[in-house]
Amino acid sequence: MARLVFYMFISALIMYTFTVSTYADGAPASQGQNDTTIITNNGKKPVEETDVEDEESEFVDVELETVFIQDPVQPYNRAIFTFNDKAYYYFFRPIYKGYEVVLPEKARLGVRNFFTNVRTPVRLFNCLFQGKFKGAGTEALRLVINSTLGVAGFSDPAKKYFELDIQDEDFGQTLGRYKMGTGPHIEWPFLGPSNVRDTIGLVGDIALDPITLLFLVNPFAPTGAKAFMGVNDLSIDKGDTYESLVEKAIDPYIAVQDAYTQNRSKKIRE
Amino acid sequence: MKRKRNIFNLSMIVFFIMFVTSTCLLAGEAGDLVKQTIDKGLNILKDPSLAGEEKLAERREKLWKEIRPLFDMEEMAKRSLGRYWKDRTPEEREEFVELFTELLKNAYVGKTDTYSGEKIIFLRERQDAKYSKVQTNFITKTAKEIAVDFSLLSNSGEWKIYDVTIEGVSLVNNYRSQFSNVLVKSSYEELVEKMREKGLKG
Repeated sequence: MARLVFYMFISALIMYTFTVSTYADGAPASQGQNDTTIITNNGKKPVEETDVEDEESEFVDVELETVFIQDPVQPYNRAIFTFNDKAYYYFFRPIYKGYEVVLPEKARLGVRNFFTNVRTPVRLFNCLFQGKFKGAGTEALRLVINSTLGVAGFSDPAKKYFELDIQDEDFGQTLGRYKMGTGPHIEWPFLGPSNVRDTIGLVGDIALDPITLLFLVNPFAPTGAKAFMGVNDLSIDKGDTYESLVEKAIDPYIAVQDAYTQNRSKKIRE
Repeated sequence: MKRKRNIFNLSMIVFFIMFVTSTCLLAGEAGDLVKQTIDKGLNILKDPSLAGEEKLAERREKLWKEIRPLFDMEEMAKRSLGRYWKDRTPEEREEFVELFTELLKNAYVGKTDTYSGEKIIFLRERQDAKYSKVQTNFITKTAKEIAVDFSLLSNSGEWKIYDVTIEGVSLVNNYRSQFSNVLVKSSYEELVEKMREKGLKG
């Protein structure tokens, strides 16, 4: 019996890998000359619905009324936002620019993969809490594959060869799934925009996060590790996300608050 | 033992079916339009005769000229002003659309210079008589997937983009929040002033 299961597992892996390579080569490029490829649908049949009655709410989105985000302590939030903005431009940006020079991109991507792998329990348990068993399974599989084939998590063969995507879940999203309202908007120093629900989420995730165990080494070690992670992520992102949002804005504070809220809603929906 | 073998066979069949794929996409007009837009844009960015720092302004102008007609700027501006649109005079509306267009142009055309070598995957398209939503994934060089959705509106058969949603953040909604917050606290003239300032800086 055990042997049968073993063979099934191996053949499943082989099939999966085969299928993945079939998909990978099958997609046509729209313009051969560009090295930017436009791929239509990656081999899967598209869902084209011409009957959109049930999608009405998403489609006829002529909601010309603004949804004002609860923000009773806006003056305080704005002050912190200004502080964060200055801290970003005068402190963190120079740091990650320097870091970029010191460590090549491949290594920084490796570091990111490593931390992502270490923090699997956060995503795994939140998948379970939300009843997303497939997601939990995917995360478990990712952990195993990346820790072994991926050399302690520095590489991500789970995504590359097995098409196992990261299940981006956290406790804030779990609470959102259970219909907890966001509560007022809060801007935290250094951490940036958040709200009451997501802040509770952050605290909850501390319990699930293996990095927290570093406090046994040194009480500031978890914070240091997270700060390092943050700088590393910023260097890969090149600050595009934040800068492009803030530079285009008439009111940067609102732009960030709104973008954060919309993005969180989307994450909770999926 | 036989039962287990049947399950095994069944799963083999299931996996075999996974081999069978179809790579053709029945794209609707809206999807085609988005593809064309992206194609045109990329061609300009890739054009060797337009490459280099000196050609920056020329490249951006060309890019803007190509892409601009595919966006329904008036619709975007109208939606981002929200309920304040109906109180505006025709002159004010015209001015606002101009300012909004300038704002967007400065904000986005500049950013496209950093775009190269990425993949764009068309995921799905939904379309009814008047509206369409085209969902894509932009895959960056660092293998990050960014969900970009285009919302289109059909004006007697002609499809135009009226909103772009990046990772769940709708452009129109984002601007609407900003504009509303300004208008709640101060006047329309102040908003116009701010937009002018921003446009000049760009």
